[in-house]
This record gives sequence, C-alpha cells and structure tokens, in this order.
Amino acid sequence: MNQFIEPKILQGTRDFLPEQMAKRDYVLEKIKTVFTKFGYDAIETPAIEYAETILGKYGEEGSKLVYRFKDNGDRDICLRYDQTVPFARVVAANYKTLPMPFKRYQIGRVWRADRPAKGRYREFYQCDIDIIGTQSLVAEAEIAKVMAEVFTALGFSKFKIKFNSRRLINSILKDLNIPAENQAGMIRILDKMDKLSLPEIKQELKSLASDSEASKLLELVCVEGSSNDRLSLFQKYNTTEIQEFLKIAKGFGIPDEALVFDPSLARGLDYYTGVIFEVYIPEVDIGAVCAGGRYDDLCSLFCPEKFSGVGVAFGFDRIIVAMEQLKLLDEISLNSQALVAYFDAATLPDSLKILGDIQTAGLKAEIYFEPAKIAKQLKYADKKNIPFVVMCGSDEKERGEVTIKMMKTGKQKTIPQDQIINYFKGYSSL
Amino acid sequence: MKTPERLRIAVQKSGRLNQGSMDFLGSCGLTFAPNGHSLILPCQNFDLDVLYLRDDDIPEYVSRGVADFGIVGQNVLAEKEFELKILKKFDFGKCRLMIAAPADSVIKTPKDLEGERIATSYPKLLTDYLKKEKLEAAIIPISGSVEITPDLNLADAICDIVQTGTTLKAHNLVPLFTILESQAVLIESPINKQAKEKFLLKCGIN
Repeated sequence: MNQFIEPKILQGTRDFLPEQMAKRDYVLEKIKTVFTKFGYDAIETPAIEYAETILGKYGEEGSKLVYRFKDNGDRDICLRYDQTVPFARVVAANYKTLPMPFKRYQIGRVWRADRPAKGRYREFYQCDIDIIGTQSLVAEAEIAKVMAEVFTALGFSKFKIKFNSRRLINSILKDLNIPAENQAGMIRILDKMDKLSLPEIKQELKSLASDSEASKLLELVCVEGSSNDRLSLFQKYNTTEIQEFLKIAKGFGIPDEALVFDPSLARGLDYYTGVIFEVYIPEVDIGAVCAGGRYDDLCSLFCPEKFSGVGVAFGFDRIIVAMEQLKLLDEISLNSQALVAYFDAATLPDSLKILGDIQTAGLKAEIYFEPAKIAKQLKYADKKNIPFVVMCGSDEKERGEVTIKMMKTGKQKTIPQDQIINYFKGYSSL
Repeated sequence: MKTPERLRIAVQKSGRLNQGSMDFLGSCGLTFAPNGHSLILPCQNFDLDVLYLRDDDIPEYVSRGVADFGIVGQNVLAEKEFELKILKKFDFGKCRLMIAAPADSVIKTPKDLEGERIATSYPKLLTDYLKKEKLEAAIIPISGSVEITPDLNLADAICDIVQTGTTLKAHNLVPLFTILESQAVLIESPINKQAKEKFLLKCGIN
C-alpha cells in the first residue's frame, strides 16, 4: 500500500485558494493603483538575507522572532522580518544613483517565528510606502493623502487617520520634567492606550513618573473635541509642526473628518521623531489597519549618510478582515466571465473564434477543454460562478448564430455571431 | 468705467425646444432683431445674447460658463452628467424616455430585458436604470434613428424619447414603460456674475 505524505502546512502559514486570492488581488490592485497614482515605484528585496543585516534591529523581543538558519554553504541566514530594514540596506547600497528624494512602495511577505494566534501569522504580507531624503512636511501630508485615498478606494466610508507628533509628546514630557531616560518608556506605555484602561495606564506610568506627573500627562493627552479644539489646548507646547501639517493636508484635499489629531497617539517604536499616524476603521474592532510616521535615521547602521524619511505600512491581512466584515468583498468573483462550450470537432474552430471575440469585447473568457455533455460544462460554469455560457453547436453554426445562456436567470439569447463583440461590449456592468 | 457684463443664454438652434425657448424669452419682454444665419442673436433691450447650439452641447457650454444660462431638455441634461442648477421647469418640451419593443416581442416587463440588446441614444440613463432595477443587458449605443434597429435584428428593444408615439407606431414598436419623465428646464452656470441677478429678475425667477 502507498504511504502518502500528509498534505499539511505549518501553523501560522496559509494557502490562499482562488476565491480568497481573487479578493486579495482586488484589494492589492486598488492599493497599488493609489500608490502609482502618486508616482511611487515598486522595489523588491530577497526573502533571505545575511543574518547580520536583519538581527539586532527589532529590539530584544523582535530578535527572538527572526527566522534564522544555516544554509547548505554554512552561511548564517535570516528570513525577512519586515521590509524597512531591507529597504534601509537597499538605500545604503544605492543612494548615490537613486533619485532623491526617493519614494517607493514595497509589497511582500515577511516571516516571524511567533506563536500563531488569531490574526497572528508566521508568514504574512506587508505593504509599505516610504519617502526618504526630505524633511518637508509635504511628504507627511502626501502620505496622509495616500492613506485617505487607499481607504476611500477600498470602500471604507468612516476611516479615521489619527495623527500626533513625537515632537509634541517630547515637549510635553520635557515640560513635566520627566528625565530623558524615562521618556521612551513612557511613550511605549502611552502606546497601549487602546488596549488598557486609563487606571491601568496610569499605574504603569507611575513606574517612571510621579502620581501627579502621570495624572497631568493623561489629562493633557485625553482631551475631547475637533482637531482644532484639541490643538488650541496645546498652545504652550510646540505645535507649529502639527499646524503646518494640517495646512498642507487641507491643500491636498483630505476631508477634515478623516484626519484626527490625537495627542494620546504614541507609536511604540523608538525610531519615530516627528508626525506619527495610525488608521482605524471605527465599525471594526481590529486595531490599527495602517501605521507609521517620520524617522530621522533610516540607514545609519549601513552607511555614514543620514536619511530622514516618512513612511507607513498598510496591514494587508487586517484590511481584508475589515472589508469582509463590512461586506465590501462580497461581489468579488473569480476571473472568468464567460465560458465557451465545446460541442464537437466540427464546431471547435467557430467556438475558438467566438472565444477571441468575447475577449476582444473586454471580457475574461475561457473555453471548456473537452466535448463533454453540455450539462457537465454548465456545471463547471456554475462552480466557477461564470455568468455567461456561450454556445455554438451545429445548428447555430449553420445559421451563423450563437446562443448565450445567462447563468443567473437561466435565460437563453440567440444573436448573430458577428454581433458578439458589440453584444458583450454593451454590458456596462461587466 | 467698466462696461456692463453681457450675458449669454444657450438655446436649441432648431428642433422641438427652439420655439418654446424663444417664446419664454419673449414673454419676459426681451426682443430680438432677426439676424440672418448668425448663431449669436443679440437682445435689443437687455445685455444678453442668445447662442444657438445643438441641444446636447448646451450643458457643456453652461457648465464651462461660456453661456450663463441654458434652456435644455431634462433628458439631455441627465445624460450628460453635469451637476447644473435647475432654476425653472417649463411646461413645454415634455416627453418621456421609454423602453419600446416590437409588438410580437417576448419583452413585456422590465425583467424581460435581462440579456437583451437595447439600442439607445441615452446609454448613461439606460445604464442607471438597469442598475437600479438590478438588470443586466447589452446596450447598443446609436446616435439617431434608433427605431429601425429591431427590424434590422440589431436590437431587441429600444430606449428612446416618446412624445406622441407616432414614430414608434410606424415601426411597429409598442411603448412599454417609462424610465424618465422630461421637460425643458432653465439651467444656470456655476460661475458667478452680478448681471445674472438682473436677468433672473427680468424673467420673474428668484
């Protein structure tokens, strides 16, 4: 008896079958369309890198989650953990020839040796845009505009782009006389604002500051009201950056209600230095679907040059989950829109010509591979959710006609063969 | 001193709205001298020129502000997708955009249109209608003489303007259902001009 290998995959990894892929491709295409509309070009980097490139860039926790192995030539290799570090390496190696400022998008898989959980995978997609080589706030505002256009294009109507400035947080912490060495820690605690209750946050803050300092900080950052109302409460701090950013963002035409100044927004990572972003979908409780900000020191580990930049990562898997929950992907079908039936050898040339015509009309179409019973061919169309089956048997061939079966209603329509292109072109909904 | 701004109103050059449009301007007390074949007709007692245009160009002229006002069929306006302010609906130029099919056709109700070929000069309005009714059909865009397409086996139904129904009858077509009721309307360009107020006052429109 044969021994079969169990067709299993690693926990935390996924196969995507056509129906799932159709949705993912649709979303990816929409996102890419917005990126390219703003002139971003794509780059790719290898899945495997030298360990020294990857290790030691993600803090103590992160380094434990890097996939690392010896290859057949005994080289120390890591799998890509994110796209930012490889991007920094690419910039360090190529900055003399790259156009500056340099903007790029990068969509790829990354790997983390994490314990799999709901929504946490060992292999998943990241989808990044960055602009480097400029300190201009036009870059921040463009990133905000791209985020707004992406979420609008995907059909989200209520998304919120929350933003804050690390400079503002630092200026508040300084004003409260928090010692420099405790500031990063306090920012990391503030970053847990949407996961912990206010008393819990306060408790944690008290490990790094006094009770009154913690209260004052929380009172400051938890204000209510519109972006401008909130901003007016921070007059004594340095808000020029935020005001200037808002002004440019307005010029880009980002709707006021989509852009929310949130002084409690902190972003945990140490490398942010200026404006920071997180995007939320209020109807879906899934956390941020996109996040990032301004950093000043992208490549210093790889070259002497310093590059200031701003970038965000779109959480592709979370976006898909949110869209599924809001039924924004229900209409996405598989590729094929028309199946041309295969009757017999005599009519096959006509059927192939018809296939070409349907494709000329702009539909994605295919021919059935065998002269099987028509019921079987219809079943195939049904299983692939193909809306039209186009038939040219010997009767139709003789009359120069073709019969179109609409699978949704079962209705059949016969038209002259030479009208096929215009017939299908006439479907404005396809 | 600045010379007063001269306004322009776009009116159908020839066809079913021309007479009604000129009658309306006349009823407002505006007089025009016959001007031969010129397409610009100056008003004798108001700073206004009439532009004689093809009716389906009128929304374009008005949306660009080349004409400050226009008198056009609602059907033409809706087909052109311009968001222009309608100031007044007239009771001339009334017609209906209807689906019609040959008397012996199987098409009797909207849902019978599924998968059929429909010839029309109003592809946008027809598309909107089909979408609203959740129907899919093949739209055959034709600029004119849509009535003959079923006879030529080019279409199974038509979507066209019906006034009296005589043309349909002559081609053995039966009007089935209306997708838009239309009439002549006065539209205004989005570009502000002070003189516009004066014209509207003259015409008794606020």
